[in-house]
Amino acid sequence: MWSIGWIVAGAAVVYGAWTMDRLENMHINPYTAPGLVPGVLGLGLIVLGAFLMLRAVRAGGLQNSEGAHSTLAAGRLAAAVILCLGYAAGLVGRGLPFWLSTFVFVTATIMVFQWPERRARGTIARGAVLAAVCGAGTAAAVTIVFQEIFLVRLP
Amino acid sequence: MLDGLALFGRSLLNFGDPLTLIYVAIASLLGLVIGALPGLTATMGVALLTTLTLKMSSEVALLVLVCAYVGAIYGGSRSAILLNIPGTPANAAACLDGNALARQGLAGRAMGVSTTGSVMGTLIGIFFLAAFTPVLGEFALKFGAYEFFWLALFGVVVSGNLTGDDPLKGWLVGFLGLFVACVGQDAIHAYERFAFGNRDLAGGFQLIPALVGAFGFAEVLSVLSERSARPEIRSVDSYFPRPRDVLKYWRTVIRSGLIGTFMGIVPGVGEDVASWSSYAAARRSSKEREKFGKGSVEGLMAAETGDNACVPGAMIPVLALAVPGSAPAAVLMAAMIIHGVQPGPMIMVQNPQFVFDVVAMMLYATLGIFVFGLLLVRPLIKVLQVPRDIIMPIVFVLCVIGSFAIAQRLFDIWTMLGFGLAGFVLRRFNYPMAPFVLGIVLGDLLDKNLRRGLVLSDGDLTPFFLRPISAVLWGITLLVILMNVPAFSRAVSAVPAAIRARLRPETGP
Repeated sequence: MWSIGWIVAGAAVVYGAWTMDRLENMHINPYTAPGLVPGVLGLGLIVLGAFLMLRAVRAGGLQNSEGAHSTLAAGRLAAAVILCLGYAAGLVGRGLPFWLSTFVFVTATIMVFQWPERRARGTIARGAVLAAVCGAGTAAAVTIVFQEIFLVRLP
Repeated sequence: MLDGLALFGRSLLNFGDPLTLIYVAIASLLGLVIGALPGLTATMGVALLTTLTLKMSSEVALLVLVCAYVGAIYGGSRSAILLNIPGTPANAAACLDGNALARQGLAGRAMGVSTTGSVMGTLIGIFFLAAFTPVLGEFALKFGAYEFFWLALFGVVVSGNLTGDDPLKGWLVGFLGLFVACVGQDAIHAYERFAFGNRDLAGGFQLIPALVGAFGFAEVLSVLSERSARPEIRSVDSYFPRPRDVLKYWRTVIRSGLIGTFMGIVPGVGEDVASWSSYAAARRSSKEREKFGKGSVEGLMAAETGDNACVPGAMIPVLALAVPGSAPAAVLMAAMIIHGVQPGPMIMVQNPQFVFDVVAMMLYATLGIFVFGLLLVRPLIKVLQVPRDIIMPIVFVLCVIGSFAIAQRLFDIWTMLGFGLAGFVLRRFNYPMAPFVLGIVLGDLLDKNLRRGLVLSDGDLTPFFLRPISAVLWGITLLVILMNVPAFSRAVSAVPAAIRARLRPETGP
């Protein structure tokens, strides 16, 4: 299915490039039209996508030659995506101090990913303390190193 | 020649003050730790450290980044040897013999070989960086719009061909990268392309957030989504390098250094290909071929010499052509521009001292990895034992800061997230990231020079094909593409045999 995605993406780029303003009212040289290069690149994506499709069809099906080799755990991936997006898009830059959102994120992430192992061993409380220490340490370290020592503005 | 030596001497002295040497030590050590930790790559490390260098002077900032780059490529061999997990993709070849030696109780010797190989490789690369950059820079002054257009396309095609298992997928992401570079105001008329009225999109995607996403966030997701046991490390024997390893395998060291440097010069190919190519060449010509993969000192030496020689090699096209030789070199190039240094063909005219500054930086970085490679074996083993569940959230915090700090735009954080998610999915489906990055870097070069070339020739395409340098560049590009067509590849492979067969009757009795 990837090949179809590439062809559709290429066609969308070509459409966007073709309908782009050619700045004729500014009397520019037509060879410098802003849509020229994106249009060529879109065509390139269509051609390469078509080759990908052709190869997949020859190999006996659209999925066979394009499949992912995956060993990841879906639950862990979902947790990672939710935590990271929640922190970067949900907490950072929304009025909460950066150190506080960082503390919450690091602590929560370590606890979530160590939860199964800690529960099996019966060390949940110890894990929570360790996660909180790591969270506090990270929040303090990034604030001191970036903001105070290297004068970098934090979000 | 003498001018070059004088400039080099001045650069060495400039970086010789105690405070700068402290920066060298800290940056080399940071690079080493970043490289040693699986999941933290050299590209990510250099991109994240760029944030910390924003307020430094340009020389010190770039010195820090160069030291981190060299340190990370070397540091990756530690986890390859001790854990059988390459610290960076460049050290995958080192796993084969490095870990085999560790399983035989020779982890210390393997680390000594890796230190020797890395130092020798970097020194060979540095020699060519100093000798070849001015020559290439002079030559590049002959490049016009036509040649730069082909150079950009050549880089993406070669990178797509060499950096993954499937060239077609490499070219697709390379073209995607070229397109991504077109988003935002175009460089000739400042027209907003594919911005859809969004002010942030009109500014385009910045390289550092895109790279931090594609290499950093994507890696965080990969590592966190896979279960990993706490690493166990066996005891370590003596890790001091043995001079006789270098003397015995001097041919391998020189060959791997040359291959690594060459792979560095080829745009967007990078350290992993350099390492594998050096390893394969060493295996082909070795007298101890049967030992490869079972703990061959020669194999480990070849892999580590090759990837480290690639680091200075990758800086040659950055300085002379403004075309990065590897993904970390792309970040370094972006950092140079942020710090007001414009690499490219004019650098030997406008700022020749800077070329030798980079040579001196590489030399100090080599010193850094040599010293820390010998002194910090046991502390680094402790670092390797920190669970990745703890390291990765901290890395993600650095990804957020690294994306935001350069322009202080929240949009750059979203760029990092978007590129990270896209990079994660693409990597899962075997799409390599290096051509994508190179596409983003070279997109502007390709865009401006195709249109400039067409204006100069008034729409005539012949100068694109008939000017001598252009002809060589498009010829190689086409050959690289055609070599992936089985019928063409078979025909080319049959040519030497056909020539031999034709010559035989003539030379026979």
